[in-house]
Amino acid sequence: MDIRPEIRAYVIENFLPGGGSVTIEDTTPLITGGLIDSIGMIGLVRFIESRFQIEFTPREIDAHRLDTIEAIERLVLKKLEGTRP
Amino acid sequence: MPEPESNLLHECLRQTGAAFPEAVAIIEEERITLFGELLTQAEALAATFAELGVRPGDRVALVMPKTTEAIVAVFASLLAGAAYVPIQPRWPKERIATTLQDCQARLVVSATDGPPRIAQLDGREAVAWDEAVRPRQDRYHRYDGPQVQSTDPALFLFTSGSTGRPKGVVLSHGAVSVFVRWCVTQFGISANDRVASPSPLGFDLSTFDLFSMALCGAACVLVPEHIVWMPRFVVQLLRQTRITCWYSVPSILTGMLQEGGFADGDNACMRLVLFAGEVFASANAVRLQAAVPDATCVNLYGPTETNVVSWYTLPPAIDTSQPIPIGKACPYAELRLDESNGELLAAGQSLMTGYCNLPEETALAFAMVEGKRYYRTGDRVTLGLTGDYTFVGRLDRQVKRRGFRIELGEIEAALGRHCSVVEAASVAVRTESHGTVVTVFIRTRAGEGLSAIEVKSYCARALPSYMLPDRVVFVDAIPRGNRGKIDYEALERTAGEPSHGHQT
Repeated sequence: MDIRPEIRAYVIENFLPGGGSVTIEDTTPLITGGLIDSIGMIGLVRFIESRFQIEFTPREIDAHRLDTIEAIERLVLKKLEGTRP
Repeated sequence: MPEPESNLLHECLRQTGAAFPEAVAIIEEERITLFGELLTQAEALAATFAELGVRPGDRVALVMPKTTEAIVAVFASLLAGAAYVPIQPRWPKERIATTLQDCQARLVVSATDGPPRIAQLDGREAVAWDEAVRPRQDRYHRYDGPQVQSTDPALFLFTSGSTGRPKGVVLSHGAVSVFVRWCVTQFGISANDRVASPSPLGFDLSTFDLFSMALCGAACVLVPEHIVWMPRFVVQLLRQTRITCWYSVPSILTGMLQEGGFADGDNACMRLVLFAGEVFASANAVRLQAAVPDATCVNLYGPTETNVVSWYTLPPAIDTSQPIPIGKACPYAELRLDESNGELLAAGQSLMTGYCNLPEETALAFAMVEGKRYYRTGDRVTLGLTGDYTFVGRLDRQVKRRGFRIELGEIEAALGRHCSVVEAASVAVRTESHGTVVTVFIRTRAGEGLSAIEVKSYCARALPSYMLPDRVVFVDAIPRGNRGKIDYEALERTAGEPSHGHQT
């Protein structure tokens, strides 16, 4: 599953509208870097939950665990592994 | 003459802690703190503060999320005769630094992970937390604390300032306690209640949770900051902990109703829902009533500078074609309409003392009418036939986002400090789907390109997250009217056009 491009596309579409020439690296800080505010983070969480069919726990909704595309992928993969039979 | 003790916020805790030491004071996830423990820790910490040089009239800054430790530190500051200054740890470093300087804090208690750190203003660590709150027999029993008057400052709340610098609203013990005592009496809050605490300490709403707990021995259930905007977790928490009283901005309630499943399921424990800080759409108020049919639902109103000054209880049948009124004056407040501009003026015991170190702005904030000092709210209101006031808009460029106050001028001032920016103008547009959307229009120096990422990152270093612009639009010129003033109405129209969501 290609997690990174999907997250990247969501972030660009929602937080950098029209950013044709914009690049977001896998390590660009999204939340601590100011691209996404705390409510934006909740929107991102909702998108990830519905797109990848996972449910976060309250502890996982953390600016540092969701701050980069790399970190998000890591968390999503871990969650997906946990749901596999 | 001695003060009535209930006018002093820390005396409420002293009395409740002594009378009901075994009752539950704070519920923070799995952790429970009893009133006796809370008082003992707060007094021990207050004694430590005094040893470290905190004197009556000083400030203690709390750069920490709302945890049990933070509440201990709040009461310790008050017991030591100082005012507490809540600062969000997630604020940009620059903003934290200017706020600490502004209030000239004697001590800074800060926490991210692990136990809080107690330091001097220059950053030198003063004492370890565990050492400071451990009740030492000798110290604890000798500590009586200084004499405090109800007019002494109890807290400083820093809020957005239009000139680019946050303003510190100074609230006295008396100003806060008059509101809390009224709530407790009016709504019959008692030791049987469980009061939710969803607002950060820097938000005036949190004074209700903390001090109604201390005043009447209700348990205070902390809603952790990382879940407060995740409606399903909030709804889960309030059912699990059987919360009976709730006070928050409407945005949180709206989220709970629309996607948190608050409307389905049993909310029979909830008997009081208070909301304030922004307009609550009538249609959502109807949904709220359906979700908590047995609860009293009340719209409270008042800027940080006045705390709550008016109230309106939702009637059984809400007219959804009209906005919900902000209602009539609370018994300790007086309201009047300035006929010349439709502005609401508020007087009474709950008013702020003034702005920290800003005598001119303080003078401008008040108006003397018939020998009485009124705060100019800047809110335009209408007065209905029933005697209820209704909010219709602002006289200036202040906007609300999720209950947080934003001075658009502060965003412009922050952007204006960027070396590539010639000028910047920001506007806020309310949308159904995303609430208040802030768009900034920027003209850059010729040949100096900026990207939206650079603009947002730059803002994140100067502004708290709720003030960050949602959209960035680069323009060749900012439109101006005849007199050379920025034409904000034109910019609002542009920002409201859907196509502009796709420009950078």
